[in-house]
Amino acid sequence: MSQICLYLELHQPLRLAPLSVTALGSQVTSYFHLATHDDNQVIFSKVAKKSYYPMLALLKKLLVTEPEFCFALSLSGVFLEQARAYEPKILALVRGLVETGRVELLAETYHHSLASLYSATEFAEQVALHTQTLQQLFGVIPTVFRNTELIYSNAIAEQVVALGFAGMLTEAVPRYLGERSPTRVYQSATQSHLPLLLKQAQLSDDIAFRFSDRNWQWYPLSVEQYLDWIAQFGSTDSINLFMDFETFGEHQWADTGIFEFFQSFVTDAIQKYQHRFVTPSTALWGDSSGMYDVPEPISWADVDRDLTAWTGNALQQDTLRLLYSLEKRVRATKDKQLLNDWRLLQTSDHFYYMCTKWSADGDVHAYFSPYESPFEAYRQYAVTLAHLREHLE
Amino acid sequence: MVGWEYPPHNSGGLGVACQGLTQALAEQNTHIYFTLPYATGLGSSHMDMLDCSLQVGQFGSAQPPFFVYQTSTAQLQSASTLSCSTLRVLPQSQMEAQVSAYTQKVTDQALLHRDSDVIHAHDWMSFPAATQVAQQLAKPLIAHVHSTEYDRIPVGNGSRFIQQTERAGLLVATRVIAVSYYTKELLITKYGIERDKISVVHNGITPLQVTPAVVSSPFITKRPVISFMGRLTMQKGTEFFLRLAQSVLQQVPNALFIMAGDGDLYHELLWSVADQQLTASVLFSGFLRDRQREMLLDRSDVFVMPSISEPFGLVALEAAQRNTPVIVSRQSGVHESLPSALVADFWDIDLMTKQVVGLLTDKQRRTEQVVAQQAEVATATWKQAADQVKQVYRRAFLGT
Repeated sequence: MSQICLYLELHQPLRLAPLSVTALGSQVTSYFHLATHDDNQVIFSKVAKKSYYPMLALLKKLLVTEPEFCFALSLSGVFLEQARAYEPKILALVRGLVETGRVELLAETYHHSLASLYSATEFAEQVALHTQTLQQLFGVIPTVFRNTELIYSNAIAEQVVALGFAGMLTEAVPRYLGERSPTRVYQSATQSHLPLLLKQAQLSDDIAFRFSDRNWQWYPLSVEQYLDWIAQFGSTDSINLFMDFETFGEHQWADTGIFEFFQSFVTDAIQKYQHRFVTPSTALWGDSSGMYDVPEPISWADVDRDLTAWTGNALQQDTLRLLYSLEKRVRATKDKQLLNDWRLLQTSDHFYYMCTKWSADGDVHAYFSPYESPFEAYRQYAVTLAHLREHLE
Repeated sequence: MVGWEYPPHNSGGLGVACQGLTQALAEQNTHIYFTLPYATGLGSSHMDMLDCSLQVGQFGSAQPPFFVYQTSTAQLQSASTLSCSTLRVLPQSQMEAQVSAYTQKVTDQALLHRDSDVIHAHDWMSFPAATQVAQQLAKPLIAHVHSTEYDRIPVGNGSRFIQQTERAGLLVATRVIAVSYYTKELLITKYGIERDKISVVHNGITPLQVTPAVVSSPFITKRPVISFMGRLTMQKGTEFFLRLAQSVLQQVPNALFIMAGDGDLYHELLWSVADQQLTASVLFSGFLRDRQREMLLDRSDVFVMPSISEPFGLVALEAAQRNTPVIVSRQSGVHESLPSALVADFWDIDLMTKQVVGLLTDKQRRTEQVVAQQAEVATATWKQAADQVKQVYRRAFLGT
């Protein structure tokens, strides 16, 4: 009998509309939507059909049939905005889940940004904005924080402590965790300690990445096998399964059997194995097993679990530098629309599209990118920033 | 005439020049058969287009070399079309095969249209075809040079095959037309062609139907705009444009540099811009056509053509025509037709910086240059070019 802490991330970026250099200086309706054809809507609705609706329905059903089942969701502000605009039924479904009292919502940056790395002021404001939005939409105030892509460092923990959160989620990275188990609660290496929950990467990625991999030795993964692995942990361990919500139905399509797997996983875990589901705020109560000292930022992405997916090359570094260098001037305009546009340009996905790592990770990047190449992502982003800058001249 | 590309399926100036010249010749009652290595599907009202389509498939059209330099915007070209720039990067065997297949097709067509008085070939791709036709029909051959391998690969290690094809065509030609004195000198020094055999005929430019100022444009940025337009290749001096940007920005921090075009240095240039933290100041528009292209030239405060070697440089005339002051490298032909343009050696960043900053800050000077350029553009007509070409025909025909 172990403790399972499941958290699913719901996020969709607002992709850029293809603005032209030869329109610089003219008022553009939106940097993200074209009047004629809105790719964001097309993609959001497609993913909604494949993943959001069926998975939310399944979670709802499991909350009814399994009174012990509970889990956490984190919804980015950009996701919520798009859901409201394109598929408002999703918000009603999430509200229904939250009302059971067994679904914990986590705090994050509204714009799914990298602000924690570049501007403490901006970071705090985006987190506050996100909390307000959760309160308005779902009537809850989150107490546990998860940063964009689980990005974490001692310096970021200091910022999160200052914002008053009860704990934070991040990745277990061996170069900092050493031989210690990710299933324990750790403390941040900061002045006042922040309890941390670490992702159990092996078991999380078995579902998120390997589930439909025919070359994987455990393919096809059986629920029994998976629960046996979990059963090897002790009763004081918390198996933290953190993954994208879209794992269900989008990254792993319905025909892989992912939904059936998930349903049996939950019911069997509770009924056959007597595992206990907990949400992060409960899991954080566990005794601390020591300090997790992370001097350089880590994340849950790619093989290296570092920042190179967003800040690894010059294209990314220079656009990020430029973007955050505009902060003062953007704020000085007191133009709300401009501030909002500047924030939407902070969404981490814009930089992810510019990634040029061509290892196994490159495939993952290409899968998620709307651009034909990282170069086009950079080119388009630079043009959009120039449009924004026109308002600052 | 043996051609290789023609608007709208063109990658650069060669197609535009063929269009301007043939239209003007046709107006002077010249009957032209024009061959192309692909089907245009468009026809032409001023000449007879002869379709000499190559079966690209037989060389494996799915092979990457055919598409490496093809860009999203250039996909107007049908998949089976080879532009000059795509052709020149093929492995030599494929390049030879293409040119030889074209030679055969053109010869077949020419034998069906024996009434030509002169065979006029545009650049190396068409030289072997034109040579064979001229021999079989016993007609004079005019080799018209719009660019040479020494221009395209300025470091000097261009394709031997192309250089040999160029030289063979030039040697056998009855007369040679160079698009500038700059090119004429190059043909003499690099290819050993007799000075007297070469006539210079500068390209013309088609007058605008609508004055630029009349059409409204959304491109109204308040920042000073300095533009580059051309293939992003070493020949065009892209690296020097970036150096110029870096240097001008020291004095004019909000200047905006725009590079329009596509080419094999594109990615390298993006890296360079990001590395030098120029993302805010140097933007890439991709390959521009039609209205987009006009809008960029119209709005530009300065147009710079820093080519390392440019036989002519029609785009500089276009910029001048659209009221933009022009700076061109001394290593180009166009300033022979546009003496008011400012001239600098392509490597002379200090001088170019002074010229750009001068034009950006001194309105009077800018206006004077624009007015002077307009007067020169007005005389650079295709009609005049056609007159000169006909004189060359006459000389070739009479053997003088």
